[in-house]
Amino acid sequence: MRRRSLSIAAWLVVLSGFLVLAPRASLQQRNGEPTFAKGGAGEITGQYEVPDPNWPQWAHPYPKPGYIWGSQGGVFAESADRIYLANRGELKLPDKVPNNFPGNWGFFNQMAATQPIANMVNCIVVVDRNGKLIEAWNQWDKLFDWGRGPHQVYISPYDPQRFVWVVDDMRHVIYRFTHDGKQLVQTLGMLDEFGENDDLTRFRRPTMIDWLPDGTFFVADGYGNTRVVKFDKTGKALLKWGTRGTGPGQFNTPHGIAVGGSPPRVFVSDRGNRRIQVFDTDGKFIEEWPGIAPHSLLMSADEHVWAVDSLTDRIVKFDLSGHVEYSFGQFGTRPGYTWAMHQISADSEGNLYLSEVFGGRTQKYHPKPGADPTKLVWGRSLMPMAAGRTN
Amino acid sequence: MIVRHGMLLVVALTVGASAGWAQAKPDFSGTWRLSGTTPPNYPGSAGWGVPSPTVSIKQSPTEITIQSGQYGATPMSVVYKLDGSDTIWDAPSVTQSGTTATVKWRTKARWDGSKLILFTWNTALNQMRDVMTFNSGTLTIARGTEQPGPSTNATLTYSKAQ
Repeated sequence: MRRRSLSIAAWLVVLSGFLVLAPRASLQQRNGEPTFAKGGAGEITGQYEVPDPNWPQWAHPYPKPGYIWGSQGGVFAESADRIYLANRGELKLPDKVPNNFPGNWGFFNQMAATQPIANMVNCIVVVDRNGKLIEAWNQWDKLFDWGRGPHQVYISPYDPQRFVWVVDDMRHVIYRFTHDGKQLVQTLGMLDEFGENDDLTRFRRPTMIDWLPDGTFFVADGYGNTRVVKFDKTGKALLKWGTRGTGPGQFNTPHGIAVGGSPPRVFVSDRGNRRIQVFDTDGKFIEEWPGIAPHSLLMSADEHVWAVDSLTDRIVKFDLSGHVEYSFGQFGTRPGYTWAMHQISADSEGNLYLSEVFGGRTQKYHPKPGADPTKLVWGRSLMPMAAGRTN
Repeated sequence: MIVRHGMLLVVALTVGASAGWAQAKPDFSGTWRLSGTTPPNYPGSAGWGVPSPTVSIKQSPTEITIQSGQYGATPMSVVYKLDGSDTIWDAPSVTQSGTTATVKWRTKARWDGSKLILFTWNTALNQMRDVMTFNSGTLTIARGTEQPGPSTNATLTYSKAQ
């Protein structure tokens, strides 16, 4: 009897040890696909209301008769009243559409919004909280000809001039525009020419950027290359890391990147290898979080990594040690569901924005009354704008 | 006197080097037969960039014309201007949805020493970069292709058809 009790106790010790020593235990595998322990499958919109399908007003019913907004590469909420939409051109509608057509490509439930040939217009637009058009940067639409439109859009939270950065993966460049979009002040990479992994002057299908407070930034590069490139605040390439493969520090489609923590770390969505890898700011590998393949990452104001998973269409909240704290979301084309979330952004009022490359829309999620603030995505506060810049 | 001779020498060397540079450009003209591909299972999509068993090339001082099946479902004859300028035209291509549609095409070319670099784009989101070199009777093409998914690389070797 005593021996049996000891045996049970030993197993309990082993089991509890396993639970403690399995830091990514919250990412579980079922039928080869990950499931997330926290946040049930029924939590489709989590702590948010079902989005208004008519947001943004700009795109509804149509940007122009006969055309709808197409694949949405990116969204960035500078504030609740200034939201940048990165639109991969507009798609021609069939001659007849149903009366209940809501104005987004996913409604048809056929091919992804990336598949039809898009008309590259209204590629960068800025809308207010109601989705009313504030600015259309049509003067730059021509930049996206011969590509597939903007991949993502950002403003560094540490930049008082609030330059707007746009990644164009298919043309292998990253643009930096003035805040009002009137000037293109910098182009990183070489338009239409790609470089290989050891080339610090050219990208090959770059995907995403994030910054350190001193302006240093990191680029995930990307669909073609398998590396991260670190730049100083002027855009001078400092170093790179990564090779193709599945081992530590190797990548297969590094598609998302987020920087934060103390000391700062670089979190890279290694999408093709279905994991997030964590590095120091010089590229030294620290750890990996397996079982998730995010299109994009976001470092939140409360220093968590939010990932939009391409495998499960879930929005997943990680602490900086890789533990899942919460998740919600589900594949679909109705309001509140998503089809290939590609960029995640949030404003300081707690509104969440998700752009969908396949669904062909960007949805704005408003928190429910009494929402648990720990389950909302909080965007990082942006540095106040420098004097003389007001828009 | 020494200065004058020195200047003449510099001029002669410059002219000679320029002529040599110009002469160093290989002529890729001919009909070429595929002899090898690395990797062998080149993952081209909808025919885009997939090695063509034969390639016919006509080259003049101003342009190069390539007839090949590498541009999609059906063989095409494609012109590249050698002065770095664009050539743009409309032609069918297989789109990402698998259908065929008339889309815009664009090409350009530039020399990098004795290497000729050819760029091809179309608005069906297909891109291709060929770096062509000629050595000991072998045409080598280092090909990079882009489509919405991951990029691909391949090295193709061709020998002259008899």
